[in-house]
Amino acid sequence: MPTVIVAHFKTNIYEYLEALQKSTLDKLYEEPATCLAIFRLLPSLARQLVMSLLFSTQIMSKADLRQWIKNDKESLSKFEEALDKLQKLHIMIEQENKTIALNSSFKQKFQECLTGGGTHQSFGKLYNKPHRHSQSNSHKLPDIKTLDEHAKTKWEEILHFMVGTDRMNSPGASVLKVVTKANLMREKEGKGLEITNKGFQFLLQDVNTQVWAFLIQYLDLASEMLHMNVVEVLNFFFMLGSLELGQDYSVEGLTDTQRQLLDDLTNYGLIYRPKKSSKRYYPTRLATTLTSGNSAIVSNSSSNNPTDDDDSATEQGFIIVETNYKLYAYTSSQLQISVLNLFCNLQFQFSNMVTAELTRESVRKALKHGITASQIISYLTSHAHPQMKKRPALLPSTVVDQIQLWEMELNRLVITNSYLYKEFRTFADYEVVLKHANTLGVVVWSSDSKKMIGITEAGHERVKAFIKRKIVQRRSNGGDTTSSAGGTPAR
Amino acid sequence: MVKAVKGTIVKCDPAVKQVILSLDKKEKVIIEDLDDNHLLIDTSRVDYIKKEVEKLLEENTYKSELDKAPN
Repeated sequence: MPTVIVAHFKTNIYEYLEALQKSTLDKLYEEPATCLAIFRLLPSLARQLVMSLLFSTQIMSKADLRQWIKNDKESLSKFEEALDKLQKLHIMIEQENKTIALNSSFKQKFQECLTGGGTHQSFGKLYNKPHRHSQSNSHKLPDIKTLDEHAKTKWEEILHFMVGTDRMNSPGASVLKVVTKANLMREKEGKGLEITNKGFQFLLQDVNTQVWAFLIQYLDLASEMLHMNVVEVLNFFFMLGSLELGQDYSVEGLTDTQRQLLDDLTNYGLIYRPKKSSKRYYPTRLATTLTSGNSAIVSNSSSNNPTDDDDSATEQGFIIVETNYKLYAYTSSQLQISVLNLFCNLQFQFSNMVTAELTRESVRKALKHGITASQIISYLTSHAHPQMKKRPALLPSTVVDQIQLWEMELNRLVITNSYLYKEFRTFADYEVVLKHANTLGVVVWSSDSKKMIGITEAGHERVKAFIKRKIVQRRSNGGDTTSSAGGTPAR
Repeated sequence: MVKAVKGTIVKCDPAVKQVILSLDKKEKVIIEDLDDNHLLIDTSRVDYIKKEVEKLLEENTYKSELDKAPN
């Protein structure tokens, strides 16, 4: 379901952007392409608000904006949400006198971007020089199929490496750095890398989410270890998102950082370059769909080369699950088989399908690796074979329930490191502390009859301080100094 | 006088609680019996308890002959 996918991947980059400093965001908004990309990521109501304010010269207040909104609860809450998002991203700024204005650099650059004014190469510079050999036809532009092919092999190389398919050679050093930094894989003693539970979860995501997750990790790495400028890197990502598939762009005018980025992104399959020294680069579908929300490679390539059964099958879904926990997957892709192997017991492989079985052992193995039951279920749901969709419930309810039961079975102990507060002198003392701890949200367990409270380890210091304050207060009030909540908590 | 005792609160179903109680007879792990679903236990013994509970529950799980057969 595309809507779910889009929402998910958006939150990812959102979270990253929201966490940025105001000054960083301001610098980001100096690039028109970035403004456009971020604008596209906004929810529709927020986009509407931005558009309305963009060319307006009047001073608006929040109350004015609210006039535009339908006066019912649902719309108003959506409105508040949109405003909140815009303010977090510093696109919209609420001033002291309650008026609302757009971020000035965002406003200017976004206007430029829409009207085509200004001189900039924010949207990438086309490679204008005629191809040296274009007359002789010996050097042709790579067609879209080549680009898709390149993107697919490169990206799957990373995924294959993660699931540990033997036939693949290890990807470039920068990929290794990112996967270890992101904690998708970790060092195994003396024997290279092994996948972590975060890596397992990563594999079950759709391509677009994966690419974004990967890029965000790369960003962290770039700023920490390679000393790249976050703004430049982000601008470059957003610029890629606005490039046109099948076009060639010139490396001229790119900064040194961005040239280095080109090399790395070529390794990930986001960019294609005929030669490493080439003055041209071509964005692949992985790059151009970054901000558009269309699902990447798979869906689009199937429409372009309908003969490619592998792709179209993937898009439609290929898994049939029976009520007896047997699973038939119509695929010959090693990658998909490896992913299935994460939580199924593979039985037989045929030329176009594999049979497998969901067993207690196989599912427990996956759960222990940190994959959740709902992830397994959503993977099975989103890759279900069209035949399955004819049934009233997509997956057999027995199987869904059982997977959840297996998960619950593993979590029979819920463990919280904590401090147990006991021996309160009076019920009132107990009540006061409990009330305070509740507002802090640190209570694990409490019992009125026993006058005991379990406090999380994190909340211990604050509750301890609160009790001490109460004691001091009581003493200064000249109250009963010997009684009540006296003494410091032991141990 | 309020006292704060450091430990680990374990939330579990009554059946698992009985298992832990029986473990406690062999070797002291429980600091405080809170209620039917909660126990305060020694933090350093958590891994031991997890392992033992797992083992006991595993012994009491039905396995079909088919599952046991090597594939």
